[in-house]
Amino acid sequence: MPKLLVCYKWVLDEQDIKIRPDDLSLDASRAKGKLSDFDRNAIEEASLIMEAQGGTVDALTYGLPTVKASVKDVLSRGPSRLLWIGDPAADQADAYVIANVLAAAIRKAGPYDLILCGEGSSDLFYQQIPARLAALLELPCVSFVQKLTLEGPVLTATRSLGDGTEEVRVTGPAVVSVLGEINKPRIPSLKQVLGASKKPSEELPLAGLGLTEAELEPKALRRAPRGFLMNRKNIIYKDADPAANVGKLVASLEAEGLRG
Amino acid sequence: MPGIFIYSEDPRLAQQLLTPALELKKDLRQPVVALTTDPEAASILAALGADRVVVLRSALTSPEALAPAVAQLLAKEGAQVVLVGGTLRGKHLAAHAAAVLKAGLATDARHLALSDGRLVARRMLYAGLAVSDEELTLPALATIPPRTFPVPTQAPNPGVVENLDVLGDPRMTVFSSTPVQGEGVDITTAVRLVAVGRGFGHKEDLGLARDLAGALKADLACTRGIAEDEHWLPIERYIGISGQTVRPELYLATGLSGQVQHMVGCREAKVIVAVNKDERAPIFEMADYGIVGDLYTVLPLLTAALNKN
Amino acid sequence: MSILLTEEQQLIGQSARDFAKEYLEPIAVELDHTASYPAALVKNLAAHDFLGLFLPGEFGGAEAGFVSMAQVIENLSRASAGVASILVNHSLAAYALQRWGTPAQKQAFLPALASGETLGAFAAFEHGPRPGVGPQALQATHLPEGWVLSGTKAFVRNAGAAQVYVVLAGTDPAAGGKAVAAFIVKADAVGLTVGEPLETMGLRGCPVADLDFEHVVLTDAALLGDLKDGQAITAETFALASVAEAAQTLGIAQAAVEHAAAYAKTRIQFGRPIASLQAIQTLLAETATDCHLGRLGLLQAADLIDRGEPFRVEAAMLKQFLARVGSRLLVDTVQVEGGFGYSEFMPLPRLFRDIAGTTLLEAPADFPDATIAASLLA
Repeated sequence: MPKLLVCYKWVLDEQDIKIRPDDLSLDASRAKGKLSDFDRNAIEEASLIMEAQGGTVDALTYGLPTVKASVKDVLSRGPSRLLWIGDPAADQADAYVIANVLAAAIRKAGPYDLILCGEGSSDLFYQQIPARLAALLELPCVSFVQKLTLEGPVLTATRSLGDGTEEVRVTGPAVVSVLGEINKPRIPSLKQVLGASKKPSEELPLAGLGLTEAELEPKALRRAPRGFLMNRKNIIYKDADPAANVGKLVASLEAEGLRG
Repeated sequence: MPGIFIYSEDPRLAQQLLTPALELKKDLRQPVVALTTDPEAASILAALGADRVVVLRSALTSPEALAPAVAQLLAKEGAQVVLVGGTLRGKHLAAHAAAVLKAGLATDARHLALSDGRLVARRMLYAGLAVSDEELTLPALATIPPRTFPVPTQAPNPGVVENLDVLGDPRMTVFSSTPVQGEGVDITTAVRLVAVGRGFGHKEDLGLARDLAGALKADLACTRGIAEDEHWLPIERYIGISGQTVRPELYLATGLSGQVQHMVGCREAKVIVAVNKDERAPIFEMADYGIVGDLYTVLPLLTAALNKN
Repeated sequence: MSILLTEEQQLIGQSARDFAKEYLEPIAVELDHTASYPAALVKNLAAHDFLGLFLPGEFGGAEAGFVSMAQVIENLSRASAGVASILVNHSLAAYALQRWGTPAQKQAFLPALASGETLGAFAAFEHGPRPGVGPQALQATHLPEGWVLSGTKAFVRNAGAAQVYVVLAGTDPAAGGKAVAAFIVKADAVGLTVGEPLETMGLRGCPVADLDFEHVVLTDAALLGDLKDGQAITAETFALASVAEAAQTLGIAQAAVEHAAAYAKTRIQFGRPIASLQAIQTLLAETATDCHLGRLGLLQAADLIDRGEPFRVEAAMLKQFLARVGSRLLVDTVQVEGGFGYSEFMPLPRLFRDIAGTTLLEAPADFPDATIAASLLA
């Protein structure tokens, strides 16, 4: 009966973020919070293991105090318990700080047989937390997993690395990062949504995690992002006669030095 | 001895990392040290400008297995900047090392500079929607995507190569590996590309695009669906957010709508041209030139006009 | 909307939206063409607890309440109002049984309705006058052998797919519309036949047919509520139908507005997107305003049902407002999209036909007026 932990991030839905045309700054005022895409896969994977083998799944998150809004959403997707750390400075935190906080929380709430994370968050996509966490907790890290099985203490996984796949085995507790292709998260049923409020959730105060000031000071400071706007000529030929359009395009290509 | 360290398990990518490393050396005035497991790659790196090359000798040579040993070495040497090739394996190693060094790490940095003693890295956010700069206090790490920088030219004095025995991390056993079935195609170096999407109804119809590509001396590329769902073209020709990124002089998109996930892979092309029968297709907003029309009519006419001399 | 909805209600709405995107969107167009009953999809709806949405936990229901039901129906209707119709009509039968059933009747039928093992239907209409208005063609006579039902019910949604029907029948031809009672009739009842499926203009995928009763004999246990409850059952179930159809209408309208707005941004005429034209902006703004206000009215009516308070007047107001707004809204969005909007490969024609079903049927235009006026002038 494994004791599992899933780390997740509550992010702004990037689909709702707009670029202000005058200064290319980002307007996130209409952006709603959502569960980061690959973390959804991680939660689903943990839930599937628990459904098959019993045990428990704790969900853990570190974010702004508004992260409280994620509690029922996440609990409706399978976890048995949710631990959340709210910190007004969380939006300045970099991967160094985030990993420190999560590791401290895991030392307090653990030990766990398996720690699952998504490959990277859908907003900033650092792809660092899993390996950082593993290093801090002195556990092996199995990253970029597209398939995994847990049998007792033995984890077998298929990793997908861009240039190929490899099958690996680890015995004992480990940190895993999962890819989006590992599973298709199910849509919570109404009873699961309503059952979420009956599951325990607990705030872990940041002050109680025993972190030093240095561990909470970001090493990387993000400057204001600029939207990427295409600035293209947009010369579109729409004549009813295709031959006429073709003639004009060829002339344009020639002018650009791109013919032949 | 502090230094600017570089590492990639991919020899070509490691060579590319020398370019930003040597640039940073001008400001930091610290030696450039390359780490590798391959003695042949080592001599090339030394010839291209690395001051020192350390050949790591270990029974386990994957980046993941070497991560703890590399982290220890970087800490011992007092590395100030570490550039790691941004393959998935490289990212794993870099993150591990960053945790051990208690340092910041910029993922997929496309531009690096020093400012006020800090490393400034530029990277994309929100699936390509935005770009932002990160300022990292030193020591700092960054992962660099392949082909972000060119390989530097030969250096006047080659660097020194030394060997170092290290212990790999045995906790993860690899018991089988399957390389991706590729066709050895590399479209990332193509100067011109003709890309195809779902506007083509049948595999045979791609012949129209091939003919056009021939007339333009271009190579063929495609959207995710054409490669991964239809398997009409090999995966190496797929351009997009989880496929290839290209920067050709000409990108001619035919029968594809121009979704963000695809355009992220080609939006830095010098000239983008689109042919699509739907005038509301997003591609037209991202194109320099375009024709609204049926590709089955337009492509043969275009090919003929280009071939006419 | 978040100040009016609890977190659970928002999450339920989100689940329904995700479900609609995943399972309804891919089949909506095909379903509209073939009108063939999507049995597998209904099973899937059941697996997500949608069929027992407001039924009590003791019968296996989700007890999620009617505000949640409104959320679910609206979100499903954004993708396919036809599928939502199946759920709505099943819910009418479930509601009547839950509200007026004896413990034995509830035990006999609600668990299967909640789990979706049984699909329900509410057989109210006829080719003649509405129940409560004029004498019913379907008459129930109490004979020694029990209740005997003879006649026809018309336009029964879910007919043929349902396993249990809640049927309104006249009990005294002399009393005209006043003598109405409700009966629980199982689909396998001897003498009950489902007529030919009716091809409808919209809401396709939800089966519609007549139910013919030829000397169908029912025991006394088949009577739902008391004989005198017939009018209340009729009025209240129709009121619930108004609320549910309001949710459908809003879902369809929302889909139409979003489609038209997206279209207006990309359609370039005379060098500018048509979204920049005053006329277009006015059309879109008016329809969006109507949707917004209609939704507030819907939530309030659903909330009254949750509190067990009377809601017939509010339901009538909703029906009246949306009937006026519904089809005008579709005309406006087709105007925005012009020739494209008129083409069958766009969603608007289907939405147009669907909204005709949710706003124009079930009650003649003056009915809601009469209910509202009666409450003011009493």
